[in-house]
Amino acid sequence: MREERQTVARARGLVKRYGPVEAVAGIDFTIRPRECYGFLGPNGAGKTTTIRMVTCRIPRTAGELEVLGRDVDEAPAAIKAQMGVVSQENNLDESLTVLENLYVYGRYHGLSHQEALRRSHELLELMQLEGKARVRPMHLSGGMKRRLAIARALVNRPRLVVLDEPTTGLDPQARLLVWQRLAALKEAGVTLILTTHYMEEAARLCDRVAIVDQGRVVAEDAPDRLVARHSGQVVVELDRWEGALPPGTANGAGPIRRADPIGESLYLYGDDGDQILGWLRARGVRPLSFRVRAATLEDVFLVLTGKELREA
Amino acid sequence: MSVEIPSDLPQGRARSAPRRAALVWPHFNARSLTVWRRNALAWRRHAASSILANLMDPVLSLLALGLGLGLFVSRIGEYSFLEFIGPGLLAGSAMTWITYDLTYGCYDRLHWSRAYHAMIASPLSVGEIVAGEFAWQATRTTLFGLGFLALMAPFGIVHSPWAVPGTVVITLLTALIFTGPALAVGAAARAEEQLSYYFNLVITPMFFFSGVFFPLESLGPALRQVAQFLPLYHLVELARAFILGSPLPNLTTHLLWLGLFILISFLLPGRLLRDALERIA
Ligand SMILES: Nc1ncnc2c1ncn2[C@@H]1O[C@H](COP(=O)(O)OP(=O)(O)O)[C@@H](O)[C@H]1O
Ligand SMILES: [Mg+2]
Repeated sequence: MREERQTVARARGLVKRYGPVEAVAGIDFTIRPRECYGFLGPNGAGKTTTIRMVTCRIPRTAGELEVLGRDVDEAPAAIKAQMGVVSQENNLDESLTVLENLYVYGRYHGLSHQEALRRSHELLELMQLEGKARVRPMHLSGGMKRRLAIARALVNRPRLVVLDEPTTGLDPQARLLVWQRLAALKEAGVTLILTTHYMEEAARLCDRVAIVDQGRVVAEDAPDRLVARHSGQVVVELDRWEGALPPGTANGAGPIRRADPIGESLYLYGDDGDQILGWLRARGVRPLSFRVRAATLEDVFLVLTGKELREA
Repeated sequence: MSVEIPSDLPQGRARSAPRRAALVWPHFNARSLTVWRRNALAWRRHAASSILANLMDPVLSLLALGLGLGLFVSRIGEYSFLEFIGPGLLAGSAMTWITYDLTYGCYDRLHWSRAYHAMIASPLSVGEIVAGEFAWQATRTTLFGLGFLALMAPFGIVHSPWAVPGTVVITLLTALIFTGPALAVGAAARAEEQLSYYFNLVITPMFFFSGVFFPLESLGPALRQVAQFLPLYHLVELARAFILGSPLPNLTTHLLWLGLFILISFLLPGRLLRDALERIA
């Protein structure tokens, strides 16, 4: 009982194979109540596959997976009854109106006719969709569709909401609105699991982030701590310079923790931009064109995998 | 001899063999009826056009074949051609109503609208979804069947007081037998075009060789034996007995065959739908 209160989802050595493809190659995570936990990784990293196992939709190949205190194989209906799911692919019911989408989903969850109607109207209001109750989802904008999908996932007042790329394909305004709703949910005590390949999203919403690549978790921590640990606080993007960098800079030297060639540029990771530039100048390197910026999860991903998140 | 098990073996891996049921039966319960309700809500919006489209076909056949061709066909046994084909058209149409609706419906709800993916993320199980589809096809087919019976009446085809309950029995049996295969085909198809193989190679030939339009006796004994394996043949015989009041000497044989087909229909779709929901990410 106590264990259940302390972990909302727990995986050990979780594996999913599709024939020769190892979509999830043995991952561990422990997700605590009321936190927002993010899986950040490029396309094909195994995020959706992980989410589909957590939401009891596909069986695992190996490993342990408990959600809301139960093994996913043993009690899928009981787990799903306390969970809300927003899939990566839109699966709103085009044969039904916006209101009916919510109503029918309430019925799937065992609500009575009255309850389902009341809850549907509540959620339309919460997601600012009241004006669209009687239209079909196809007439909604991308942002509205996503809000409807989130509303539908809340119909059963879930303790855990799982969202697969909740803002992919949305314009900045629509994304902001979704972020606000998710923040409000978290405020209300709901545990959130989300996947994203937007590092801003992970950094903004998530208490903890698992960086995934090729079916494995390569690092897991709070976003700012991941940055501090793996890349340092700042990046000096050196585009043009005169002079040769001292040998060994790539693996860290002086205030430089690491240097990576990115295209024609050189990224220098560290904690203080002025210090890095001063150190270079003192060694006869003259920076001609450069930028100093705060390091992000994108840089962490680059440092850890040698790939860029977007194109990886 | 004993095998040493290393103590540091991760516990999870030891107990992780996925236990997937070999068979997924339709699971009829209150929750499965919420799928029925979803279908009813979706259907209500285009009920009028759906009724028109589905009844048009058998009524036109009745008029064109029964009245038109009927002028050139002498009586079949003790019945006019119109009387002969009416009950058969009921059973045959029930089969096509279900098949057209659900093969495409299932394919759509897996690949385009993805309604099944949404359902499976709720507490609904695959077995409950399948059961809901059975319940809905039974309802819809019965509605159409009674509509068709009403349209047959003015032609003087309906002879027996058993026609109304008889029609309900026929449409329910037809739904029980053809819902499973239609779902299975929709779930197994990798491309929409593949659905038409089922129509062209199974449904259409069955319609023509199940005794809807001519007595199977005229096919000779060999084909007559083959017809036993066509579920529609038994349904047509039953329909004729209920609606025309004709005798039905082999009732038990018909019912045994129909029971077997229902069993197959229950067994067929669950696993295919489960696997499709996993395959189609
Ligand atoms: N149903 C499936 N059948 C076969 N391979 C799959 C299936 N689903 C996912 N994969 C493969 O597993 C890997 C991980 O995919 P996915 O979990 O969708 O990644 P992400 O969501 O991070 O983009 C990919 O290589 C993908 O092609
Ligand atoms: Mg994905």
